[in-house]
Amino acid sequence: MQSAPFNLRRLVIWLGRIALGGIFIYAGYSKIFAPNLMLQSYFTLKFSILANFSNFGNQVRSYQLLPEAGVYFVAHFLPPAEILLGLLLLVGWRLRVWASIVTLILLGFITVVTRAYLLGLQIDCGCFGKPEPLTGFTVLRDGALFLLAVLMTIFAFQEARNPHPWSAPTPEQPS
Amino acid sequence: MSRRFILAAAVTLALISLVTLTRGHLVSASREGTASTVPNSSESSRVSIPEASITTSASLSETVSTLAAPTTQKSGAKKSSTAASSAKAALAAQAPITVNGVANIDPTKAFGSKNASVTMEIFSDFQCPACKQLFTTTTQRVIDNYVNNNKVYLIHRDFPLPMHAYSRVAASYSRAAAHIGKCESVELALFQNQEKWEMTGDVKGTVAAVLTPAEMKKVQELVDGKTLEPLVEKDKQLGQAVPVNQTPTMIIHTRDGQSYPVVGFVSYDVLKTLLDQLVK
Repeated sequence: MQSAPFNLRRLVIWLGRIALGGIFIYAGYSKIFAPNLMLQSYFTLKFSILANFSNFGNQVRSYQLLPEAGVYFVAHFLPPAEILLGLLLLVGWRLRVWASIVTLILLGFITVVTRAYLLGLQIDCGCFGKPEPLTGFTVLRDGALFLLAVLMTIFAFQEARNPHPWSAPTPEQPS
Repeated sequence: MSRRFILAAAVTLALISLVTLTRGHLVSASREGTASTVPNSSESSRVSIPEASITTSASLSETVSTLAAPTTQKSGAKKSSTAASSAKAALAAQAPITVNGVANIDPTKAFGSKNASVTMEIFSDFQCPACKQLFTTTTQRVIDNYVNNNKVYLIHRDFPLPMHAYSRVAASYSRAAAHIGKCESVELALFQNQEKWEMTGDVKGTVAAVLTPAEMKKVQELVDGKTLEPLVEKDKQLGQAVPVNQTPTMIIHTRDGQSYPVVGFVSYDVLKTLLDQLVK
């Protein structure tokens, strides 16, 4: 029996949406607008963003996993996608879909980060705009985020199949 | 019981994520050989150098001469004395200059025409991977297409980060090589073999591999004499005044006094769009 609208399942979903949504938005924003941000003109702004993509691309390249076309695609596609997914998580619309995608992306992150760590690559993790060396700490952080995403996704599916009685549609009263 | 456990696990995971995220951003990394961020130490905090404290070309030469003297006296060896004398002679001939409003340029670490419409300063650390990538790809093409065509005046500033064990030594050897006219080849060798010497610390061997024994002898004398250290230190002070928060950092100056800081690695194609806009 459910005793309150904010049960465990919902709490985890809310926690995941807020934490992961916020982190994804910040990660995408920092990759697009940091470390370069020149606002003198449209041209300098455009240059700053392209320079930041180039910088992020170099961090992606350092993982030694993707060909040049793949590096270019990830460098230009991932930052806006992170912002979009973060916003969708916060909004909560079609949560199961976006939570699943976020979980898959985090699975990708934890895989490549762990691989680089085990290979002993001395690189920046490329997680955010600022250079940050890839350490065991990075692996732990990505692992924590991944587990949170998994829990959020599982509970989002459970919530959809078996909605809380307080939020379930009220059956029509027989007239 | 299981619900409580899951709730506790979820809260713990969220807290770990948030704490680690914050920590990862506020505290710069300390592992050697990776980070190119300036650490949050007093040494590397934003330093605003007053106009008066920025050494002019003449006073810098004096400083170098003054610093060279005690070294000679201390060692007392004929070899060191010769090294200091040759360093003084080199410095006298290559005193820092001002180009396009940019002061304190060591001409041995600058390339191109002084009449170029754009002056580009690059603050870099020899042990920083992104600096290596920038130098071996972007900078080489900028030299070929802009510096050699007198469109850009390129200045290489040393900004050795304290977290890198050998970058200061590499900067010293590079500076000494520049003062015997071997800047480009030594810088290229240091960057191209970065992974090797950062593991072994054999900066000297890396430099020796691209110089003749006679050239290496001169370089070693300059390094041992420490007479060029003030020039490296001056570059670092200039970087801190910018402030340079990570390497590589480029500052692109135009004749009309505009400055454009470009931080981190930038591909040649992207940098070209800015240079084409600024070069007139």
